Amino acid sequence: MLNQEGRGASEQVTFWKRAKMSLFGTTSGFGTSGTSMFGSTSTDNHNPMKDIEVTSSPDDSIGCLSFSPPTLPGNFLIAGSWANDVRCWEVQDSGQTIPKAQQMHTGPVLDVCWSDDGSKVFTASCDKTAKMWDLNSNQAIQIAQHDAPVKTVHWIKAPNYSCVMTGSWDKTLKFWDTRSSNPMMVLQLPERCYCADVIYPMAVVATAERGLIVYQLENQPSEFRRIESPLKHQHRCVAIFKDKQNKPTGFALGSIEGRVAIHYINPPNPAKDNFTFKCHRSNGTNTSAPQDIYAVNGIAFHPVHGTLATVGSDGRFSFWDKDARTKLKTSEQLDQPIAACCFNHNGNIFAYASSYDWSKGHEFYNPQKKNYIFLRNAAEELKPRNKK
Amino acid sequence: MGRKKKKQLKPWCWYCNRDFDDEKILIQHQKAKHFKCHICHKKLYTGPGLAIHCMQVHKETIDAVPNAIPGRTDIELEIYGMEGIPEKDMDERRRLLEQKTQAESQKKKQQDDSDEYDDDDSAASTSFQPQPVQPQQGYIPPMAQPGLPPVPGAPGMPPGIPPLMPGVPPLMPGMPPVMPGMPPGLHHQRKYTQSFCGENIMMPMGGMMPPGPGIPPLMPGMPPGMPPPVPRPGIPPMTQAQAVSAPGILNRPPAPTATVPAPQPPVTKPLFPSAGQAQAAVQGPVGTDFKPLNSTPATTTEPPKPTFPAYTQSTASTTSTTNSTAAKPAASITSKPATLTTTSATSKLIHPDEDISLEERRAQLPKYQRNLPRPGQAPIGNPPVGPIGGMMPPQPGIPQQQGMRPPMPPHGQYGGHHQGMPGYLPGGMPPYGQGPPMVPPYQGGPPRPPMGMRPPVMSQGGRY
Repeated sequence: MLNQEGRGASEQVTFWKRAKMSLFGTTSGFGTSGTSMFGSTSTDNHNPMKDIEVTSSPDDSIGCLSFSPPTLPGNFLIAGSWANDVRCWEVQDSGQTIPKAQQMHTGPVLDVCWSDDGSKVFTASCDKTAKMWDLNSNQAIQIAQHDAPVKTVHWIKAPNYSCVMTGSWDKTLKFWDTRSSNPMMVLQLPERCYCADVIYPMAVVATAERGLIVYQLENQPSEFRRIESPLKHQHRCVAIFKDKQNKPTGFALGSIEGRVAIHYINPPNPAKDNFTFKCHRSNGTNTSAPQDIYAVNGIAFHPVHGTLATVGSDGRFSFWDKDARTKLKTSEQLDQPIAACCFNHNGNIFAYASSYDWSKGHEFYNPQKKNYIFLRNAAEELKPRNKK
Repeated sequence: MGRKKKKQLKPWCWYCNRDFDDEKILIQHQKAKHFKCHICHKKLYTGPGLAIHCMQVHKETIDAVPNAIPGRTDIELEIYGMEGIPEKDMDERRRLLEQKTQAESQKKKQQDDSDEYDDDDSAASTSFQPQPVQPQQGYIPPMAQPGLPPVPGAPGMPPGIPPLMPGVPPLMPGMPPVMPGMPPGLHHQRKYTQSFCGENIMMPMGGMMPPGPGIPPLMPGMPPGMPPPVPRPGIPPMTQAQAVSAPGILNRPPAPTATVPAPQPPVTKPLFPSAGQAQAAVQGPVGTDFKPLNSTPATTTEPPKPTFPAYTQSTASTTSTTNSTAAKPAASITSKPATLTTTSATSKLIHPDEDISLEERRAQLPKYQRNLPRPGQAPIGNPPVGPIGGMMPPQPGIPQQQGMRPPMPPHGQYGGHHQGMPGYLPGGMPPYGQGPPMVPPYQGGPPRPPMGMRPPVMSQGGRY
């Protein structure tokens, strides 16, 4: 059922050979072999980190990635793309990725998420709808409707209710019981929804014009506070983080100006606890050339360590420790922007998508260029660092 | 003292707001506390210098000046001693000092006799405590008070001290060298200090001179690449010892935020104190109301944005696109379809100009608009509107909303998808049990076949 278009079989074979290394638990040999894997062009920089490449990746830019929750044995990865499709792969411990299924929308897919039990996948699309994909039956039905593309979709599992939250460019945030075609609730947003994240009982939505709203989801979703943005540029991505007791306590917000703000909801000392840091910029400070500042396309927190990863238009990913306020690692530069990223449920795998994100307009779009999803062993590199 | 000529009377550190007797000491302090590499401990001369060193030698980037108070952590601002301090901050300092002077002048008298001597570090760190330690009364008097060091020396100063302690510093720097704590030695020290002060007084003045003329040019632009500040050759040596100890041990992680103004009282509450509470100054920056968002973001003047203007450098920069401080392209998102200020002299934002998200921009293209095909919509590139398959017509307010355009199958793949769609969905996509999905339930318009029923209109081969 999967359409394997265009991918030469030979490429897959090559990648399989590479993928023999174990993805989990060990740090040895994962993508670190010194020999040139591809043997092909030495100038090919599409995978400078020598990470595992997911097979049958989408044909157009990948807009979103999501790994299955811990309730499912194994790891399943979902990716939504601008080719209107949503694909599912099983990722095995060996690093092998097996395409499993695919669904379509009638417009580019902007966001995907899983239900807490791992049986359903929700997808949000430019076709103004969100769908629920039942993996067991491989059926997808529409469960949400907006007046403009749906940019975010999140599953909310509360003790007394469950629903899907969709944020759209139509400036509304809607909550859906998947069994009904009418939304359970509609909340107005100050502007178009650009990104959102949910960790019960907290939800954060960032909108156009630097809007930032926090919602509390107990009993029923309600707006908790509107926050004046800690960033001066357009909001692009947001991710909630938790405290040591595993409760959501704040969020990281990324903008198009190579900067991430770490913001606590109720910090003991806001002036001291909240901060921002620069990232995804070219080294312009010590040269006379102007520094290039790239957008932060995605932020993801490691589920175990609490450290975070950011991916940017510059084609790099970086790992950070927000408590020690240090950078843990920055990758080599890929030849395309990294458009999305996510961790699997136990933090062993970091997935990132290499696709054009339109940061340089349509002139730089090359539809022939392949889109990749890479998988990297994240168990070691994201360990927190002791504060210096 | 009353020397108006000095900036704020006494040299003070812009990064941590501490006062020093003498610029030389100030510089040593800065080198030790703010411009010291955390990896190799090499002392650099300026913030940018430190950044460059870290990058070149350690391949690490740093984002903020170590031990700087929130709002004063900009690594790109070239400040050396008193040079390079933004005029605005100078004014602010002056004001603060004036207020302090009155408030403190009485209290100061009492500081005379505490006898503790802590080591430099703690002494230094306490500088931020709200002690009334002599404000700027000139060098001598404060120096002469043995009590001073101890005061600041109080161990365990609370960390989150508001950065407004102009009065404290004066002592600190001077003390350490003299101090290293001995009550008995105090007297000696005092004398020493006095003479020190004596010298000091000369020095700073002298020291100030050169920079004087140099400063103005520096202030306005704050060009990151600014020429090295005027060296201070003649400053008396005595300050060596201080360099390290001096101070500013703020232990404060560089956390830029809010302009100094009133530090928010720490609030401890549950994450979501029963709905509806909100506000609660937990975050000072949160606008007083609920709608700080619409903002007038940008357009200048940071003041309105006391928040976390990250590095607050915005103060100096903002708006003026050609702002020197790198990485502050000062986006002026004034109006909706506004354009971003994407370039400045030292940095360039890799992002299209209009202030819409990359996805919105991309979704406008005809190529991605083959949403729900609608019969009769031949022209491509026509702006939207028109109900599609039961959906409400896009609101006018939503710019770039893709409308229903006839599918533009520039690529075989797209066309393929469309048509192939049913093939992909083994089960099809059972709408909600109704024939035409998305119709009635969704307050829509006339029912329309939602998916790909319509053969893609190949009217224009062009892609966009």
